[in-house]
Amino acid sequence: MKSIALGQYYPSNSVLHRTDPRIKIILAILYIVCSFLCKNIISFGLLALSAIMLIIIARVPLKTIFGGLRPVLIILIITSLFNIFWTSGDILLFEWKFIHIYLEGLYSAAFMVIRIVSLIIGTSVFLTYTTTPIDLTDAIEDLLSPLKKIRVPVHEFAMMMTIALRFIPTLVEETDKIMTAQKARGVDFSSGSLITRAKALIPILIPLFVSAFNRASELATAMECRCYHGGEGRTRMKVRHIRFVDFIPLVLVLILATALIILNLLRIGFTI
Amino acid sequence: MSKLVLENVSFYHGRGTPYEIKALDNINIGIPAGKITGLIGHTGSGKSTLVQMFNGLLEPHEGRVLLDGVDIWSQPKKIRDVRFKVGLVMQYPEYQLFEETVFKDIAFGPLNMGVPESEIEERVLEAADFVGFERELLYKSPFDLSGGQKRRAAIAGIIAMRPEILVLDEPAAGLDPRGREAIFTNILNYQRANGNTVVIVSHSMEDMARLCDNIIVMSAGEILMSGDKDEVFTQSERLTSVGLDVPQITQLMNLLKIKGVECPDGIYTVEMAFEYLKNKLR
Repeated sequence: MKSIALGQYYPSNSVLHRTDPRIKIILAILYIVCSFLCKNIISFGLLALSAIMLIIIARVPLKTIFGGLRPVLIILIITSLFNIFWTSGDILLFEWKFIHIYLEGLYSAAFMVIRIVSLIIGTSVFLTYTTTPIDLTDAIEDLLSPLKKIRVPVHEFAMMMTIALRFIPTLVEETDKIMTAQKARGVDFSSGSLITRAKALIPILIPLFVSAFNRASELATAMECRCYHGGEGRTRMKVRHIRFVDFIPLVLVLILATALIILNLLRIGFTI
Repeated sequence: MSKLVLENVSFYHGRGTPYEIKALDNINIGIPAGKITGLIGHTGSGKSTLVQMFNGLLEPHEGRVLLDGVDIWSQPKKIRDVRFKVGLVMQYPEYQLFEETVFKDIAFGPLNMGVPESEIEERVLEAADFVGFERELLYKSPFDLSGGQKRRAAIAGIIAMRPEILVLDEPAAGLDPRGREAIFTNILNYQRANGNTVVIVSHSMEDMARLCDNIIVMSAGEILMSGDKDEVFTQSERLTSVGLDVPQITQLMNLLKIKGVECPDGIYTVEMAFEYLKNKLR
């Protein structure tokens, strides 16, 4: 039950941890763009290198990173198998009955893996590992604030996200509690057919929903009691200021993007 | 004679992670059959972890749990049977209610045990009577009940399983005085009617003094004291040293003793004090 969150904040004091979260969101988007700019061996090499550098700079242990990659492992394996067996090209490496493996297939499989892995490492290092969820929602609110002009309730969305994030651990804990209570009444989660097991979840889900709804209405009352009325005229306790150093990572990622574009124009190395 | 025995039981939260915490440290206790045993301790002393050892919700990392002399973990596949023999009412048990009617919710445990349909009604009504539940409430939705009623419905859900040992973790927490009184009276009646073995977890000394025959005191994952209620409550210094207290009336009697009034040890309810002082002043 404890491993529910896909990515989790890893407390440390690296340069990236101290970078302004708004900049980090822009960095993450740029990095995603970069990973799709890659078209040849050299650019994919650069991408892989940058992902490794990110891990080193953020000082997040490799174990945590690999733990975050585990959920996509199956997707990685399946896509690379597809790429290996179904890509045709000029250089045939292996042939047996209906199986043809081309060098191009191996390359595109490797490229795909590098792309997905760096995509996940990039976004999770910029966003989840080095930025607390609260900072992140604040930053999203700031970045989207121009939309307020066209009456998009940006603050309300951000508040909803903050509350949702805040209550994930609470709900996990509560699920644990209810599960233990129902186990004491003889519910068996680990044996029986799929249908019996699914049915065993009913005594967990109903109390969980009931208490989540109760909690939501209590929270709404508590917020109203403290005169919460949406984003209008609301100030922050911590006001973020973008400093000069915050721009350094931005510049670095922009250089990476430019390098990738130039590499594409040069058409060197193995291209897909 | 002990119904349930814990031998050298140790348990760690988050075992194998850097956040490992020793929750229970070499626990050796026996729960006497046919009596009410009180389990007292400060928040975080390991009471709730300990009661989850009793019915096999948690497996001890070291040591054994013996029910009627048999190690409950000798056949891990049959651990569900242990949970039916040792009925555990968790803290704030109203969270476990989920059925459409109170009747169905009380019947949930027995149905899981495989009790035949024909016997269910008898068991539900019996359990409802023990917790003083009015018949017409049985057909209401559990979510329409008051806090105290929900609590009693949840306790009835365990009693309907006819456990050999009934374990209640803070059964009166968060209830008003009338609700507390009702719950404790119900538990006492239940125990007296069947001569069952009951374990109550609480940190209210007054309630413990009134209800229990035996007391186990826990502190920081260890057993500090265990024994007859008289033995435990006479050692007020040791209790205070771990942030617990003897009942207020016992404190008063101790003060009287210091002031030079002749008082015996072992007075821990107002009724006892009243009787004693009445005779003395006569």
